[in-house]
Amino acid sequence: MSLTRRNMLALGAGAALAAGGGLSIRRAAAADAIKIGAPFNVTGGLSSLDAPALNGAKLKAKEINDAGGVLGRPIELVIYDTKTDPTVIASSASQLINQDHVPVGLGFTDSDSALALGPIFQQAGVPFVTPGATSPKLPEQVGSTMFLACFGDNVQAAAGAEFILGKLGAKTAFLLRDNSTEYTTLLAKYFDAAFTHGGGQILSRDDYKSGDKSFTAQITKLKAQSRKPEVLYVSAMPDDIGLVVKQMRQAGVAQPIVGGDGYDTPLLLSVGGKAANDVYYSTHAYMAEDSTPPIVKFFTAYKAAYNTAPENAFAALGYDTVGLIADAITRAGAPEPGKIRDALAATQGYKGITGSITYQPGSRVPQKTVSLIGVKDEKLYLAAEVTPSWIAKP
Amino acid sequence: MSRAATLLVAALVLAALAAVAFGAPRLLGDYLGRVLIVICINAILVASLGIGNGFTGVFSLGHVGFVAVGAYASGILSLPASAKSAYLPDLPSWLSGWHLSFLPATIAAGVICVVLAFLVGAPLMRLSGHFVSVATLGFLIIVNVVLVNADNFTRGARTFAGVPLETTLPWALGWLALTLLVLARVAYSPKGRAWRAVREDTIAAQAIGIEVLPTRLSAFVIGAFFAGVGGSLYGHYLGSFSPAAFYFAYTFALISMLVIGGMQSLTGAVVGVLLVSLLSEALRNLERGFSLGAVTVPPLYGASQIVLGVVFILIMIFRPSGVTGDLELTLGRRR
Repeated sequence: MSLTRRNMLALGAGAALAAGGGLSIRRAAAADAIKIGAPFNVTGGLSSLDAPALNGAKLKAKEINDAGGVLGRPIELVIYDTKTDPTVIASSASQLINQDHVPVGLGFTDSDSALALGPIFQQAGVPFVTPGATSPKLPEQVGSTMFLACFGDNVQAAAGAEFILGKLGAKTAFLLRDNSTEYTTLLAKYFDAAFTHGGGQILSRDDYKSGDKSFTAQITKLKAQSRKPEVLYVSAMPDDIGLVVKQMRQAGVAQPIVGGDGYDTPLLLSVGGKAANDVYYSTHAYMAEDSTPPIVKFFTAYKAAYNTAPENAFAALGYDTVGLIADAITRAGAPEPGKIRDALAATQGYKGITGSITYQPGSRVPQKTVSLIGVKDEKLYLAAEVTPSWIAKP
Repeated sequence: MSRAATLLVAALVLAALAAVAFGAPRLLGDYLGRVLIVICINAILVASLGIGNGFTGVFSLGHVGFVAVGAYASGILSLPASAKSAYLPDLPSWLSGWHLSFLPATIAAGVICVVLAFLVGAPLMRLSGHFVSVATLGFLIIVNVVLVNADNFTRGARTFAGVPLETTLPWALGWLALTLLVLARVAYSPKGRAWRAVREDTIAAQAIGIEVLPTRLSAFVIGAFFAGVGGSLYGHYLGSFSPAAFYFAYTFALISMLVIGGMQSLTGAVVGVLLVSLLSEALRNLERGFSLGAVTVPPLYGASQIVLGVVFILIMIFRPSGVTGDLELTLGRRR
């Protein structure tokens, strides 16, 4: 086929038609359901955290609807796969606001994604609750409509520091961080502050970059230390932690390794294997069949719905976030963005399975208890529950 | 076509563009307006990539490096003084305390990229073939590492937030029109003929008196200017970004748009962007599940990427030189 202008016009028209056809299809919605926007990175780099969070959210929405819904109406999650791509996130946010007209939304487990969506929801005055983006600075950066359903990184870093100083009885640490993401750099900074404040000493620091496959340089530096640190704090993303732990142990580094909720994926055990023993991490809830009764109930329901155990605590956070939003809609009395926002801000002691959620006046980051999970014999166990006494400023 | 007629047509096109730019947000709604903005930005980036990669035959993988520099440079320049003290407390004093508005910041971003392209291009444009691709890939990696480590200027790996949301459809369309106008003028001038001569046969080109290095460098530098502009538009569209946004994934997205549309024409660049963007938006909306009469398709997240990949493969099999090849859409005459 030789390309003439007519051909090209036809091609362009075809593409436009295909696009138009795709966009004009409306999904059948339940009659007068209350819509809740749910953008998540179901595919792409963050899918191992976002997909469980979305599954948890869907489970809670189903339970609420089975129990009669909210304000006598069913709720409907309007789900978008945002593909870990900021431009797709911005487009989806606009679709949620301008086409679906959602009065409230939830989504994401990282602050980059939440920041890409935030301004669009803020401008429309529609509240948004993130189940798992743990940057305590997030609500300030976006504005009055952004809420966290999880603790901030400053809280979990402080809990990790107190756990090391108290339960592990260690006073010196080696701080290794992934310097390529907001989450890992902030977590390391907060840990540094809390550990030093509690009387600990960071003997030395080193960096790597998410995606690195060899940590020989960092391990060599660690082993060359004249004074051996008693503990390693490694601020890592989920994709890397298995490999870090494995190479450390292979090189003969036997000290406990402690980190944040980035460890909370099946990858820690599946990639790390035996090397993961004596690893501890702070996270939102202990997901297992021997945990607290509400978690066990959630565990069973999740298994029944998805044929797999909850992959990590983000599943529980997604579940809690939908509950939190439903509670706020009930108290608001109507599915209107402004009223829901005010009701969310006034939340006092909402009983979630990851702890109780209360927003202090003016703060949109809840105070919650931190669970510390340990690994023994390639199995997870609840090592401690910590409510830190001193927390670094966001 | 006579000169007067060309001018008339150009004026009509401009008027139509203006009408679309100002009318579209009201007519199409915010979402489609946003899709159009992203298409315009990507078209600027892909067209400027095509100047080096397609017309001059220097297959650069470093284009997104300039996009990143453009986004960060204009972001730092246009961040309001109050936001600067909050987000970038360690900024040197000569940069803090003042800010530029959108247009000068965007032009400044382009100019910074031009300077950078001179420095990088002078040694690199001596290379040919695969060597230049790998070397420019090195440039992209260096830019990424510098952005991650220059904490005082870029907040390092943390999200660079607070950039004013200024990229509206009129701005994006305006810059796209300017980009295409300038690139078309240069690409189909004697300069552009020299680019293509260097691409087709370096030795023959030298034999007729075309110097290879300055010729390649000029294409690289012009491409870098518009990459910087596009980066600024992108930064002011999203309002927040991190170095990870300007890396391999974006590089390959732009290159696939260029290759699919046709590397050796500006029309190809625009067609490629339109095709890939509209198709991926349509598929993204379809994969959420839909019902057509009695048939209900459940959500299949990720299916859009697979279908898109298959379409790319088919296009490459049946039209290896892209949808348009080296043809341009012109007003009645063949170039």
